[in-house]
Amino acid sequence: MRILADPVVDWSALGKVVLYSLIAGVGVPAVYACAVLGAGRSSDAARAHRNGAATFYALLALIGTAACIGAIVYGIVLLTQKS
Amino acid sequence: MASDVILVIVVATALAFDFTNGFHDTANVVATAISTRAVPPRIAVLFASILNFAGAFISLKVAATVGKGIVDPAHIVGTSGMTIVFAGLIGAIAWNLATWWFGLPSSSSHALIGGLVGSTVAAVGTKAIDGNGLLAKIIVPALIAPVLCFVVAGIAIIVIYAIVGRVRPGPVTRGFKLGQLGTAGLLSLSHGTNDAQKTMGILALALVAHGSLGADFTEPPTWVIVSAASAIALGTYTGGWRIIKTMGTRIIKMDAAQGFASQGAGAVVILAASHFGYPLSTTHVINGGIMGAGAAKRLSAVRWGVAGNIIVAWILTLPASAAGGAAVYGITRIFGKGVAGPIVVSVLILIAAVLLFARRARTGTAAIGGAPA
Repeated sequence: MRILADPVVDWSALGKVVLYSLIAGVGVPAVYACAVLGAGRSSDAARAHRNGAATFYALLALIGTAACIGAIVYGIVLLTQKS
Repeated sequence: MASDVILVIVVATALAFDFTNGFHDTANVVATAISTRAVPPRIAVLFASILNFAGAFISLKVAATVGKGIVDPAHIVGTSGMTIVFAGLIGAIAWNLATWWFGLPSSSSHALIGGLVGSTVAAVGTKAIDGNGLLAKIIVPALIAPVLCFVVAGIAIIVIYAIVGRVRPGPVTRGFKLGQLGTAGLLSLSHGTNDAQKTMGILALALVAHGSLGADFTEPPTWVIVSAASAIALGTYTGGWRIIKTMGTRIIKMDAAQGFASQGAGAVVILAASHFGYPLSTTHVINGGIMGAGAAKRLSAVRWGVAGNIIVAWILTLPASAAGGAAVYGITRIFGKGVAGPIVVSVLILIAAVLLFARRARTGTAAIGGAPA
């Protein structure tokens, strides 16, 4: 039984599990962290009456949150599709 | 008639196994979110059980792997075939009870697969085992997944700290507590997609032996999906009340960002594996994520003893539960090829379980999630 050369173990599928996990498991938290950064900075800027910065960071928070929700929904849709 | 009775016993045993799977795993799924106070305990448990139920319907590839990719259904035929499935389940339950009693973090998933392999070898021989399937679909992914989750959670928390490191702690904690609502939900959903399907696969195998399902099935019947999803959801809900009572004794020390990263990593690894039909030990994956998020912040924060126990459990569970499955098959055969053997063994395991739970309840040392999946 050759494990590495023969397709006994489907390394392509396992590689995809690793790749998707890394992309989604690091990418989504990173984008969400940007949203948290935006929310925190936005309230600080608003308190300091820096309206331009407050708007920019609020937008960052909104876009980050929307991107995370979109990524999760897209992932679940992919899972429900029968290949 | 005898085959119908054995089928009913197998279905009841499989659903009981599924219930205990949810019961034990509630701790793994909700503990992080509860300990960081992201979600109130009662809501977390209810949320987890609903999403476990929903998750069982998302993908059915793991069920197909368990039902067709480990043992050849062509060799699991008639009352003898159903007895093989029954013996595998009892072998797994016996191992789970033993590890729960001794406090070892065993894997119900590995026990189930080991038990099935053991009873099949005892009954039919190794010709019925798909060695390549076992290696490719079970053993290699079992080794890769927890390490992958450790790495993903570790990188994620490093990236998170790099991004929010200079923001005031208040908004950061609030933000990641809110985020944990999403990751806890995803983790519950992923748990349903992987663990409930193992029972579906076992039930499908029993139905093939009974003759009610073709050996080339692509999906289990709807009633199997609904009953397996309901059993794991009910187990999750029931297990949660015990956790709420004893949560104060077992707090996992991590901040909201670490909880978010570890839950997110666990969810994506399990969901990706489910998509490709790999049945994983969800406990090992979730623990890998918790340790990864902890180790990235401070190596000493990780309970490395738990990691050692998991490795011991990895090494022991498959052979021990296989031996259990083979022994149970041998015991059932003492009573002939009919329904007597499964009935006697069911009664014996039920008595053993009640005695163990009663004794543990009297001593007041009940462990949470002692034998998870």
